[in-house]
Amino acid sequence: MNAHNVAVIGVGQTAFRSRSDDKTYPELAQEAVVLALADSKLEPEQIDAVVYSMAPTTFMGVADADKWAVDYTWARGKPFMRVHTGGATGGSALQAAHAHVASGQYGTVLVVGADRITETPDAQFVLNLIWDPFYEQDFALNTVTMTAVATQRYMHKYGTTEEQYANVVVRARRNALNNPSAHLKGAIDIAAVMASPRISWPYKLFDICPRSAGAAAVVVSNETLARERCTRPAFITGTAGVSNTVFMGDRMGPYADTDFADYAELKQAARECYRQAGITDPMRQIQTVEIYDPFSSFQFPQLESLGFCASGSAQRLSDEGAFDMDGELAVNPSGGTLCTNPIGVTGLVRAAEAARQVMGRAGAMQVPNVRNALATAIGGSTQFFTVTMLSDEPRRAAA
Amino acid sequence: MDVYVMGVSIHPAADVIGDTRLEEMAYRTARAALDDAGIERAQIDHVTLAASDEIDARGISSMLLAAPSGAYLKDEMRVTDSGLTGLHLGAMRVASGHLQIGLVVSWNQSSVGPLEDIGRMRAEPFFLRPVGLNFAIADGLFASAMAERHGTTDRAVAERVRLRLAAAAKNPRAVRRAVPELDAIAGSPLVAHPLRSAHRAPVTDGAVAMVLASGDWVRAHPQSRPLARIAGAEWAVDRYQLDGDRLAGLDVFRATLAGVLARAGLTGVDALDVVELEAQSGWADIALVDALQAGSRVAVNPSGGAWAQNPYFCTGLVHAAEAVLQVAGRAGGHQVAGARRALAHGTSGFAQQTHGFVVMEGIEA
Repeated sequence: MNAHNVAVIGVGQTAFRSRSDDKTYPELAQEAVVLALADSKLEPEQIDAVVYSMAPTTFMGVADADKWAVDYTWARGKPFMRVHTGGATGGSALQAAHAHVASGQYGTVLVVGADRITETPDAQFVLNLIWDPFYEQDFALNTVTMTAVATQRYMHKYGTTEEQYANVVVRARRNALNNPSAHLKGAIDIAAVMASPRISWPYKLFDICPRSAGAAAVVVSNETLARERCTRPAFITGTAGVSNTVFMGDRMGPYADTDFADYAELKQAARECYRQAGITDPMRQIQTVEIYDPFSSFQFPQLESLGFCASGSAQRLSDEGAFDMDGELAVNPSGGTLCTNPIGVTGLVRAAEAARQVMGRAGAMQVPNVRNALATAIGGSTQFFTVTMLSDEPRRAAA
Repeated sequence: MDVYVMGVSIHPAADVIGDTRLEEMAYRTARAALDDAGIERAQIDHVTLAASDEIDARGISSMLLAAPSGAYLKDEMRVTDSGLTGLHLGAMRVASGHLQIGLVVSWNQSSVGPLEDIGRMRAEPFFLRPVGLNFAIADGLFASAMAERHGTTDRAVAERVRLRLAAAAKNPRAVRRAVPELDAIAGSPLVAHPLRSAHRAPVTDGAVAMVLASGDWVRAHPQSRPLARIAGAEWAVDRYQLDGDRLAGLDVFRATLAGVLARAGLTGVDALDVVELEAQSGWADIALVDALQAGSRVAVNPSGGAWAQNPYFCTGLVHAAEAVLQVAGRAGGHQVAGARRALAHGTSGFAQQTHGFVVMEGIEA
């Protein structure tokens, strides 16, 4: 089957902050679309189809938020679908848009989403409702306690310290100083992270992402249109995802296919993504990554499962500065999810930032000479994963 | 599209499926579709889900439903608009080059959730929610617009409901229902003027799944015979506002219909043998059939449409499955003789805000 090459030709992000009370929800989405269209030098009528990126609507309490936003995003009369895979939503939405174009069905597709997590007084109570209503909701499970359990298992396996996680936070906040859209940013030290209030061992407050409001949009085109419209498009050269069982208990022990401490299922998705993108040596061929890290413990197992280093070694490399802006691999130049988390579009922001790195439009965040940039997204009970490669040129012949 | 349907499964429908967990419904339906295609789960490389958190009363429905739907350690993605949207995305994923064969799975167990309350929570909070908008009121506004603009009458609606129920009686997958007298329909309680309770297609529980494969996969597996080719797919969304022009104009329905026919290489509706339209009320049925402008040779809703079964979220995908069964000659008592091309339609949102179509084409022996 002759598939079309697909490229990002423009991105838009609002500023992310705790609240955006000056705009309604669809107005927030519209702001990102305006920015993405301007970045793409396109008019709304040049968009063929729209993919809407929106995770649980319970935070803001409007179940048809995407349909409400139709008129504001110039989607009326166009193909429109909402993608929702929990925290992985933005990554899935971009991959859905890729399918729109790669299949030849549409030439130019807009991906847009907005979220406002602080519309609810307690997001973690809402997130308790994602679990099985009969067996699990009565436990104190939420995304903090759930991932704290996985972090404890990882620490037990590899001897990771709380200070090593704190160093990840320090780097993220420092990187975010260069990102005008970031929610949290600043020059802090390990002691400040260690002194922040304990939430759920080993997490302190600074180990945990903020609840952000904001919007993001990305425009993708086929190769012909991308080359006409953009001097340096970011080609989507690899798309893969993997879905695991919801039950963390089934992801440990001698009979488990994967271990939930290691995000081992991510290896499967990375393998497929790299196959498509022609990546055989990730550390040498990929210059920067935007990985989904709502907690400080999310970077090490991802970097290992993505093949950048051996299991249990990421913490040492992190300490040595290998993942700093001037290190061997620039990890989350934007500050990542640790600094900004509008859940429904967080995965899309990761891909947008990776695309901007390839396009040379990352401003003060720019990593030199980016040929390949990787973006991930994670959702559910850390069970949904997407891996997307953005590259300076397509890795297969045009259809 | 160079995309083929290899197997289909429609869960036995009922007004209430109360003895089965949603996970079991999804598992049985996905398993049956794989069996229908004659392939193992290990052979598929992806799954596309279509489900609504609100109807499923789950924060992220696919967390528990992905694995029983066949997606364990597979490349899985979910849409929330409707079951038919899942087919649209699934078909594009298969056509995008690196995925070869996968499942599309959708379900609906709204018997355990108050659908109209869910509808109210869908409304935006500033204007529509305070006036109590829900699906019934949106459909009532639609009915009112049709009566005003096109002179649709209460009697015509009642006759249409009887026609659909009579067709459903021949459908082996339909929920068994009596065909009421005209007076009984006309005398049923008003829900939202002029919409009466008997004008509405009863909502059922249900689930549906399909196996889709790329042309490359089909050509590499000559022992696996496709049921149908997806000749064309198109979908679009209309304005959120419920003004008279949006409700009675059906502009997006007409434009999207023209688009899917063009994609399928068809000169018009009359090149089709079968059309399965999703209408949630007799008022909508009359409006959509009029907008379709099909000649008498085209069989419209031989299955009975939503009056056969109406698993609200995935009724459009059920219609797509019915279209596959028609062109494969497996529809059963309502088989249209010699059906070669069948169009399926689905809708979602308040008063049909979205319209989606797919053309299924039979495979020559």
